[in-house]
Amino acid sequence: MSSIHLIPRVIERDVRILFSDTFLVGIMFANFCIDLFVTAATFGNLIGSSYFLRIAPGSNLITAMVAAFQSGRDIWREKYIKDLASYLLTLPVSRRLFVTSRIVGGVARSLVVTVPGTLVISYLYGVLFSPRLFEAFVIVALFSLGIVGLSIAVSAFASTIEVFATVRSAIQLYLSFLSTIFYDVSLFPAIVQPIVQTNPMTWAMQAFRALQSQGSTLYPIAVLVGPSLAFALLGALCYLWYTRL
Amino acid sequence: MSSLTTRVTNSSELWVPSSSSKLLLQIARRDIATLFRTPWIIISRSLAFIIQLFVFAYLISGLVLSYPDYFRYYAVGAVVSTVASISFIIGYDIFEEAEEGLLDYLLTLPIPRREFIIGRALGGAIRAMIYTIPMFAIVAVLENFANPLSLLGATLDLFLIAFGVTGLSITVAVTVRSANRFDVVLALLDLAVTRASTALYPLNFLPGYVKILAPFSPVTFAGDSTRAALTGPSFDALSTAGLLAFVVIFLGLGATFYFRRLEGGVYA
Repeated sequence: MSSIHLIPRVIERDVRILFSDTFLVGIMFANFCIDLFVTAATFGNLIGSSYFLRIAPGSNLITAMVAAFQSGRDIWREKYIKDLASYLLTLPVSRRLFVTSRIVGGVARSLVVTVPGTLVISYLYGVLFSPRLFEAFVIVALFSLGIVGLSIAVSAFASTIEVFATVRSAIQLYLSFLSTIFYDVSLFPAIVQPIVQTNPMTWAMQAFRALQSQGSTLYPIAVLVGPSLAFALLGALCYLWYTRL
Repeated sequence: MSSLTTRVTNSSELWVPSSSSKLLLQIARRDIATLFRTPWIIISRSLAFIIQLFVFAYLISGLVLSYPDYFRYYAVGAVVSTVASISFIIGYDIFEEAEEGLLDYLLTLPIPRREFIIGRALGGAIRAMIYTIPMFAIVAVLENFANPLSLLGATLDLFLIAFGVTGLSITVAVTVRSANRFDVVLALLDLAVTRASTALYPLNFLPGYVKILAPFSPVTFAGDSTRAALTGPSFDALSTAGLLAFVVIFLGLGATFYFRRLEGGVYA
């Protein structure tokens, strides 16, 4: 069997690992519901109904972020808990191809977990029954690509689960609060604005908002590609670094 | 994380004095020491609190025009929700101890089960307080809460919610078996208890379906009672009574489930 044929197997394995505990998938959906129907709805009441629609995609992207970080957590568990890393490296596939498959697998998992959320947001934005629904999935996939890369990078360096969880929390804080989920970039102090403008969450949110306003998503998606590919590359390099002989 | 054992340097230490309070404190002291052996948790939660307060609350309160001084409301609520979140950590420790076999060792200690269980809950609550007090101090300075009696009342409310959530966390830790599930159940419970409450959002602005549940959330009791102590002229007896009921119920449940797991169903 050629190496290329193993890629779908690796991706399938990652998706199967996710569904080995369907309860976990259910809980991630419950998290999305709490974020959207409690937090976002409350801020909608506090600030204005249009604000609810403005921040709604944030709930789905936060779920995508949590799902994407599970990929890194699973790789960490394979390395330190299940002692599977050595076995996986004996598979007849090059390491570059293997890590690429793991990243694609992570994106696939994230997309699967966020299907209900993406559909709900698309319904709220009036694109559920239009071809633009495809764009919503592209945004989630691109955003997840970067986060999967980051989570794999963290898993390569974290020696304990506490370190992994701490770095994950710090990244999640950066993605959630130093982005335009809740407020416009102009509200941030000038010194923080470059951090907000380079945040992939900012551009994923902008892309979703373009869907709502029936505008073009091309520009925000084009910008989102930059950090997402950079983080994915970082994840791949870190993975290759820790698996070197 | 929880593999801390107390080294016996003197054989007389093998027999712990029979005073209940000393036994409780001994167990509680161990749990407090455990928290400080895991600085990563303290770092991540502190960072979360600081960003939540100085970035999120500061910016969002500029957008909230329908509720006057939302920053103050949110700041007090952030302390209450943080103390609740930290109190959940005891469950992780207890779960890990059972998985790693450390629980067997702990049960060989010459400490009655009742003192052991209450000591665990007390240790969980005290360490949550130790961790949260610097954050509470930041909020007190920022919002100019200077009345010693008010501060004392608010601290008591925070301790009560910490004690109750510790009981809840112990209950979950000894009833859920799978490690993965336990992680997410506790995280979801933390999120649900905090968000479906008035700690961070005023009751009138919650969606209708949450408004029905929120008044019964322990975090609501703690949030309302703490706010009344700090900002209101009166003592919120109803919220304090609700908070006390929560403590009694979940400490009782936690103790019962923990005891059943330890002793295979016999309750002494």
